[in-house]
Amino acid sequence: MKTSTFPTIPRRLLLTLPAVLFLLAFFILPLVDNGLRSIVQADGNGITFARYVQLLTDQFYLTSIAQTIALSAAVTVICVLIGYPVAYYLVRHAGRWSGLIIFLLIAPLLTSIIMRTYGWQVLFARRGFINTLLVQDLGLLDTPLRVLDTPGLVVAAFVHVLVPFMVLSIAAVLQGIDRRLEESAQLLGAGRLRTFFEVTLPLSIDGIGTGSILVFMVANGSFVTLVLLGGGLKTLPLLIFQQFNTTRDFGMASTMSTVLLVVALVCLFLQLRLVRRGGEA
Amino acid sequence: MVTQTSRKPAELRLEGLEKRFGNAVAVSSVSVTVEPATLVALLGPSGCGKTTTLRMIAGFERPDSGRILVGGTDITSLPPHRRALGMVFQNYSLFPHKTVGENVAFGLRMAGMARAERDEAVGRMLDLVQLSALVDRYPSQLSGGQQQRVALARSLVPNPRVLLLDEPLGALDKNLRESMQFELRSMQQRFGITTVLVTHDQEEALSMSDQIAVMSRGRILQIGGATEIYDRPASRFVAEFLGTSNIFTGTVRSNGVMIVAGGTTGCTLQLPPGAPTSGPVLLSVRPERLVIGDAAAELPNRLDAYIQSRAFRGTYAAYQLDVPALGREIYVYRQAGGPLGTLTFPVGTTVSVGWNLEDSVVVEDDE
Repeated sequence: MKTSTFPTIPRRLLLTLPAVLFLLAFFILPLVDNGLRSIVQADGNGITFARYVQLLTDQFYLTSIAQTIALSAAVTVICVLIGYPVAYYLVRHAGRWSGLIIFLLIAPLLTSIIMRTYGWQVLFARRGFINTLLVQDLGLLDTPLRVLDTPGLVVAAFVHVLVPFMVLSIAAVLQGIDRRLEESAQLLGAGRLRTFFEVTLPLSIDGIGTGSILVFMVANGSFVTLVLLGGGLKTLPLLIFQQFNTTRDFGMASTMSTVLLVVALVCLFLQLRLVRRGGEA
Repeated sequence: MVTQTSRKPAELRLEGLEKRFGNAVAVSSVSVTVEPATLVALLGPSGCGKTTTLRMIAGFERPDSGRILVGGTDITSLPPHRRALGMVFQNYSLFPHKTVGENVAFGLRMAGMARAERDEAVGRMLDLVQLSALVDRYPSQLSGGQQQRVALARSLVPNPRVLLLDEPLGALDKNLRESMQFELRSMQQRFGITTVLVTHDQEEALSMSDQIAVMSRGRILQIGGATEIYDRPASRFVAEFLGTSNIFTGTVRSNGVMIVAGGTTGCTLQLPPGAPTSGPVLLSVRPERLVIGDAAAELPNRLDAYIQSRAFRGTYAAYQLDVPALGREIYVYRQAGGPLGTLTFPVGTTVSVGWNLEDSVVVEDDE
């Protein structure tokens, strides 16, 4: 038995030191700073929780929190629904084309997110490509479609950006499923659909989980798309951006950041629990 | 013990099965009849078409031509889930996200059996394979042998008409494999279920089957009982794939005598009764049928040989002999005997080796 009362630090932990220092300097400290700023009074004297009270009671802010979560959730669900079949096809049926499909999936990521978002504007603006085509060239419509400032387009733009992450997460897990498990299920009397729901889907739940966390978190924190496409949504990231740049109310911005962080952590926790249960049972 | 609502054992018939993958012929004119409640082994090296044949029976591959009949009913075009077959895979293929109980219950649940009835059937089956205590475990918490038994229980509980075993013992270590051979065989007989076993392990095939079909290059070379296949191999491939054979290649000279060329002088050998009377001929003699030393003196076929090396294998000793007259080696297995702790013939000595005519078999050349 060791007599030392100090826990000894294994030497290999020293290898993590650079990463720890980096995170401390650029992640933990800013977070602490941010947290402090949210509770220091505007005149710099004393501590107040008034901003939190305001944020969590004011209807405007509550709506914003709800919108943030709803938007991320919608984007995640749609990514699963679109991504799963693509991943399934990629792993099971693409054969020698799978390399090409993966390239096509990743290729859009090579373009900046701003470019891709502007793409939607070019396509759907009042005098954009689609409306010009429909109204002037083909004469199918009398008035241009109003797509640009709708929540629907925001969701579409998010899905567009994030669906590759979902596909790749699911495909990685699907790839590892032993086909003989599905064959066993079939011989035991399960048709294709039942085999899918009894075997394939439960075994790929981890991939859905990973992809969902990835997509949800990114959607939860991004605002560029919202700034550019609007859609009448006032999500927390957008408000934070405005507080910093327009209102210059740093205290309120910090408060919202902290709330957004907590919301994200709670969602992460819930998703992890969901995945754990699905993966084990 | 009585099993539930036993189906009458069904006959499985494969009629002229053919399967090509691109240009490669995987299975060619395979016809086998598996009598009800018997076990037929498809035995052959990897790539011989045995697994493809099994997958066609299961419905995972569609034959290019030919028919598959179970109890007289053509199932060739039925999807796997409507064939009422059971299958045990080499890696067991237990559902990792389901417990032992859920795994075993799966087939019954798919068949729409009510919960209470299902639980009872599963309990009975787990009793039979002595795994009742593990009903709530997950497959990853079981040993290889336990997983094997769960897989067997899962495939048997829905009362399949035919059981398919795909290298079922391949992943087990040697001792366990032997006891599982007996266990599988006794379960198969107790359930009276028509069974096809795919294996590349000759010992497994010999000890578990009623009939063995030796396959090579997509074809069945010979079908027969274990002793028949082993003692009366029809062709060179069968003789050499099952056990070891010394094969002498030569030409029939006259009534029952063949000439073997090669080495310093070549030799003449006497053929067993019923051998061809002219043309090229292959004679196969098993190592354990050869006699060496003084005991060989009286035998009709006799060669002088030189002991090149030997290996002690417990129940017998294997000798590698050089026969200068033929310029080749032959193998002899000699049952352990003499004083404990000794091997009779030392390396480097010259001995006589011989055999009785009825211990040799003429085989066809299929190489």
